[in-house]
Amino acid sequence: MSKIAIIGGGIIGVATAYELAKLGEEVVLFEKNYFGSGSTFRCATGIRAQFTDEANIRLMKYSVERWERLEEELGADIGFNQTGYLFLATSEDEVEAFKANIKLQNKFGVPTRLIDMDEGKEIVPILNTEPFLAGAWNPKDAKANPFKTLFAYLRRARELGVDAREHTEVVGLEREGDTITAVKFRSKGKVERVKVDAVLNACNAWAPLINGMAGLKRDLVPIKAYKHQLVKTEPLERGQAEPLVCPPSWNDAYIIQDGEDGGIICGAGIEHEAKSLDDVEPTYDFLRGVLRYAVRIAPPLRYAHVVRQWAGYYAKTPDSNPAIGKLLDNFYIAAGFSGHGFMMAPAVAQAMAELISKGRSKVPLDWEWYDPYRFERGELRSSAFQIG
Amino acid sequence: MRLNEHPVLRFERGREVTIYFEGQPIKAYEGETIATALHAAGIRVLNYSPNKKRPRGLFCAIGKCSSCLMVVNGIPNVRSCITLVEDGMRIERQHGRSRLPTKAKPPEFKDAKVVKADIIVIGGGPAGLMAAIHASRAGAKVVLIDENPRLGGQLVKQTHKFFGKREQFAGVRGVEIAKILEKELRKSENAEVFLETSAVGIFQEGEEKLVLAVRKERELIEFRGRAVIVATGAMERMIPFENNDLPGVYGAGAIQTLMNTYGVKPGDRVLIVGAGNVGLILAYQLIQAGVEVKAIVEAMPKVGGYFVHAAKVRRLGVPILTRHTILRAEGREKVERAVVAQLDENWMPITGTEKTFEVDVIALAVGLRPSIELLHQAGCQIKFVRELGGHVAVRDGWMETTVRGIFVAGDSAGIEEATTAMLEGKIAGIAAALRLGIADESWVEEIEKAQRDLDEFRSGPFGRRVAEGIRKALLGGVAGE
Repeated sequence: MSKIAIIGGGIIGVATAYELAKLGEEVVLFEKNYFGSGSTFRCATGIRAQFTDEANIRLMKYSVERWERLEEELGADIGFNQTGYLFLATSEDEVEAFKANIKLQNKFGVPTRLIDMDEGKEIVPILNTEPFLAGAWNPKDAKANPFKTLFAYLRRARELGVDAREHTEVVGLEREGDTITAVKFRSKGKVERVKVDAVLNACNAWAPLINGMAGLKRDLVPIKAYKHQLVKTEPLERGQAEPLVCPPSWNDAYIIQDGEDGGIICGAGIEHEAKSLDDVEPTYDFLRGVLRYAVRIAPPLRYAHVVRQWAGYYAKTPDSNPAIGKLLDNFYIAAGFSGHGFMMAPAVAQAMAELISKGRSKVPLDWEWYDPYRFERGELRSSAFQIG
Repeated sequence: MRLNEHPVLRFERGREVTIYFEGQPIKAYEGETIATALHAAGIRVLNYSPNKKRPRGLFCAIGKCSSCLMVVNGIPNVRSCITLVEDGMRIERQHGRSRLPTKAKPPEFKDAKVVKADIIVIGGGPAGLMAAIHASRAGAKVVLIDENPRLGGQLVKQTHKFFGKREQFAGVRGVEIAKILEKELRKSENAEVFLETSAVGIFQEGEEKLVLAVRKERELIEFRGRAVIVATGAMERMIPFENNDLPGVYGAGAIQTLMNTYGVKPGDRVLIVGAGNVGLILAYQLIQAGVEVKAIVEAMPKVGGYFVHAAKVRRLGVPILTRHTILRAEGREKVERAVVAQLDENWMPITGTEKTFEVDVIALAVGLRPSIELLHQAGCQIKFVRELGGHVAVRDGWMETTVRGIFVAGDSAGIEEATTAMLEGKIAGIAAALRLGIADESWVEEIEKAQRDLDEFRSGPFGRRVAEGIRKALLGGVAGE
């Protein structure tokens, strides 16, 4: 048994801590703020396998299968609901693109199909069918409650012996050759040190800082934080807009009804490069912009009151695919999720834990596709389709 | 039932209109809110709760608590307590979380109306009115917004005469003070007023402050200025007891709104919980309106309000039961009885001391908490200060918060009373104009004078506690809890 340090207490770090503990490893987990405070608790709750490339489709198909059994495995309600994703086409060209995506998704067992707007209206009673020609519908896509999910993972991780510490900031890594030997961290103003056998950087938007501490170039894995915002309406009766509904050609705008209180969450690809890593100030241009899309997707939303607006980060890589893999002999990274960390967490955490503990994984994760060194080599993947 | 005779107030009603409650026609008057008209028609259950389907009615009556949400013309979650009736309006009880109307057309987009001013005042109560009056006198262009249909805030419900100095309106009834202040503000060419307009957010856009607001639930308005004064008042507290959500358990302020603003009798027999000034004044106002007050219960060993108010109420035959609390409300769909009991030295009810009052209204006068939501959203530093009624914004002696250009005044800065709210409003209004470089330095004297008046007003036994709270809320002040 070896001692593994995980840096970053978001969904990826917490879930990986749980998976490692399940494999019998000794884990210490560091979070500089509170668990979930970075991006996890700010996410739009969506989970989908409707991607447009083999690597992401296969990874997310496996992740959805893990999600389906997660409540039972963790022994807790995590608000998981398979309410689907409905993408909407506004042009014939887009319908053709949908057909090609559906074919690829079907090839790997994802049951997406093309639907007409009559069926769309049945699935989403408040949908405006008029601007749309067809929809790509996968009823197995889903949503879950990020708070409940993170805390369910955390509780099981602690029960399995994980030493999970919040308000504990990692301030340095000690490196000998290509091995990290110790982690220095600050807790209640005091700097302490722990010897480790392996380290996982799960800091997403903050990951370049940790790579720097490991003596690597900060832009080896070039992750930039983009402020993404959401607004949410007052609680409403469930069943009005359960799936995530998105016309990608409308600036990736989407709506999705919260699986707990029925409030409708509205998002869009109106993004701002974060001024600093504590810039989560909501802006009026987003509020105005997103609502214009939302009421065109579902006109009855003009009668709903907005009660919340908040921001979080998409930690984006140049190709919007995460960096998952090994950076040094015992230094690993799973970061730069570009808005997909929550949905990918069950699969990535398992894959990462198996890689660290056993050197290989049975998760269908294409290590080459997500290779963190690909940016240095100038190899970019096709940009992952980026919605909630 | 509507009141027509009142020893102090005259009720001017608008044109008669017909509204439809669950399909049944009901007579109402223009200028009345939906909840008021329904109450006058004997309808108290306004909605059923989402999870346990419990009947719910009015509680705060000033748009803050969402206990009165109804479906109006097919649109759910309408605050029936501040939405005015319109002829032919269709009103339904809301059953928990609601569906949106499925038949809706996408709106035609147009840019929001933009209103520019130097200073935006949110809240048209005593603090906001005084802030707007003084900021405009000091030369600033001011816009004042309030989500209620009338100006004056809680002053419009106060039939009693104020204490203090003559220049602080001593001897004048609250309702008259509201009229004087409104007239003063309307005289100013520098000030504009928007009623039925809810501020929903404060954004910083470059050097500009944007207060986003919605008028009559329909029209988005961007109020753009360089300073904002938040004078959003307070919200009534609730205390835990069995069936405290039964329609007929009303905040004291809601009862005052019904009977003093709209001339609607809140009920026939009332139990008041809390013998502070609000509870005592409420008892007197109820009697003025011809309502029987069965008793006032007070958990503390002695009356909290001014002696003169208590003496007046006792003279009118209302028993004040100190060391008593309410155990439960009873009734089907609305209050029919209240059960109270005596408390022992550990604040526990003493078995065998229960008394039942046959009442149809239970008035809670158990204190207020500052309405700080907008200040919190705008990023002002917030601190818990027990003496000020809860969470308040940290500010300096000129009422400026930790966000430059955002000021606070009145109950939203800490629970006190109308006289101090007016003084704080004056300070905030002048200070904002000074900070923007609009007012000249001679205005500093006016601030200093208002500060001295505040100190004087707070030197009494009631004020000392507040003064201690304010020391904690001041920027760089003493540590709080």
